[in-house]
Amino acid sequence: MYDVVIVGGGIIGVSLALKLAEQSFGKILVVEKDYLGSGSTFRCAGGIRASFTSREHIVLMKRSIELWAKLKEKLGVKYSRSGYLWLASSEEELERIKGYMRIHHMFGLETRLVDENFVKEIAPHVDTSRMAGALFDPLAGKASPFDSVYKQFLATKRLGVEFLVGREVTRIDVEGGVARGVEMNSERVEARNIVVAAGAYSVHLLEKSGIRIPVTPVSHHAAITEDFGRLFDPLIIDVASGAYAMQTFRGNVLMGVDVPEKPFGELDVKLVFLEKVVTVWSKWLKWLPNVNILRSWSGYYEMTPDHHPILGPLTPIESLFIATGFSGHGFMMAPVVAEEITSWIVSGKPKSREAGNLVLSRFEEGKTIKELAVIG
Amino acid sequence: MKSYVCMCEHLTVEDIERAIDMGFRDIESLKRYLGIGMGTCQGRYCVPIVLGILSRKLGVPIERLGYVSIRPPLEPVPARLFLRVEKNV
Repeated sequence: MYDVVIVGGGIIGVSLALKLAEQSFGKILVVEKDYLGSGSTFRCAGGIRASFTSREHIVLMKRSIELWAKLKEKLGVKYSRSGYLWLASSEEELERIKGYMRIHHMFGLETRLVDENFVKEIAPHVDTSRMAGALFDPLAGKASPFDSVYKQFLATKRLGVEFLVGREVTRIDVEGGVARGVEMNSERVEARNIVVAAGAYSVHLLEKSGIRIPVTPVSHHAAITEDFGRLFDPLIIDVASGAYAMQTFRGNVLMGVDVPEKPFGELDVKLVFLEKVVTVWSKWLKWLPNVNILRSWSGYYEMTPDHHPILGPLTPIESLFIATGFSGHGFMMAPVVAEEITSWIVSGKPKSREAGNLVLSRFEEGKTIKELAVIG
Repeated sequence: MKSYVCMCEHLTVEDIERAIDMGFRDIESLKRYLGIGMGTCQGRYCVPIVLGILSRKLGVPIERLGYVSIRPPLEPVPARLFLRVEKNV
């Protein structure tokens, strides 16, 4: 009998396992169907910011950013507070980022408009000739998805957490309104608490137990160039298209932009994406046409109707918790989600009111949350 | 003397064996933990060698270990090629 079984070995599952193990919360098992990080975590860019436009996102991400710094201090996770920079190329776009800034300031986030000289300093290889203005978020940054999963995995193993990798949870056992264990084909494991952190794959898994969650995976594409020395520190966003680009800790440029995709679509590679992303970024990164693209891939944004995650107990079923539906922001949120779910398991309630607002029942009760800026 | 497996990341046989002992027991995780196959060679040299080491350490025949997912393009290509994509592809 396990005290907690976590379904999903991505950033959420691994971060939660570490948090629970640090509190010596009994016997913990993480089950991952493929390899650690294989779902959405290792497909994401690793950007981290609190500059959102809802109270819930801003408050939780601010706490997450504090916890990212602690992870770096404690485990040496590759994390850097290198900022986010929104690049506007017209007056209309400039007005839009000013609107974002006003919301940030309401919640005490110190984003600010910056000039060409500032941009040249923090992003020496970004061409500023068509820049109408830019918004900078100094609290934002990035972490390496590989490094943050692996360092937390190794720390978690040292604390005695068990891992079953390459094994798929095929069903959650719910008896008499209580979740009692998980099935992996013919094998069954009993647990006092079960957390579903299986990203896009949570939807079909929960459906088998009669639980419907309004999560729709939509694939998003990314491409990466060969590696270089310092080109630009912050994650940069082209306001016109919503495209983002960032330099990884290895020095590669990782880029993404929206192209039309159907829900639950294939995780394939699209030429239309490569064309769009190279076209958009060639306007700001004049050297881009001449560098090599190494790889392209796609991964799911697990979208919910209000673009906010579903966290906490899956009432009315007892002992069953969920953390999915991050709508493209799960990686950055993982440390605070681990803290909140741990609080729910240990003390029966979330640590913050904002996390409490993100329970599944908000959709039935009409208490959905409004988010105005979803990037890339 | 050192036996190098990956010249892009300067990784030796010992580095691979240590990672396997730490719990990275599949090629996808070894790739991402060590960075093998993510340099300019894109795995052409190192991945088959690492599979050989993994096979020996785990006592599993190499053909049962699988291969890393191949992400297009098959070899590095200049980004400018994508500026001229026919819209009806």
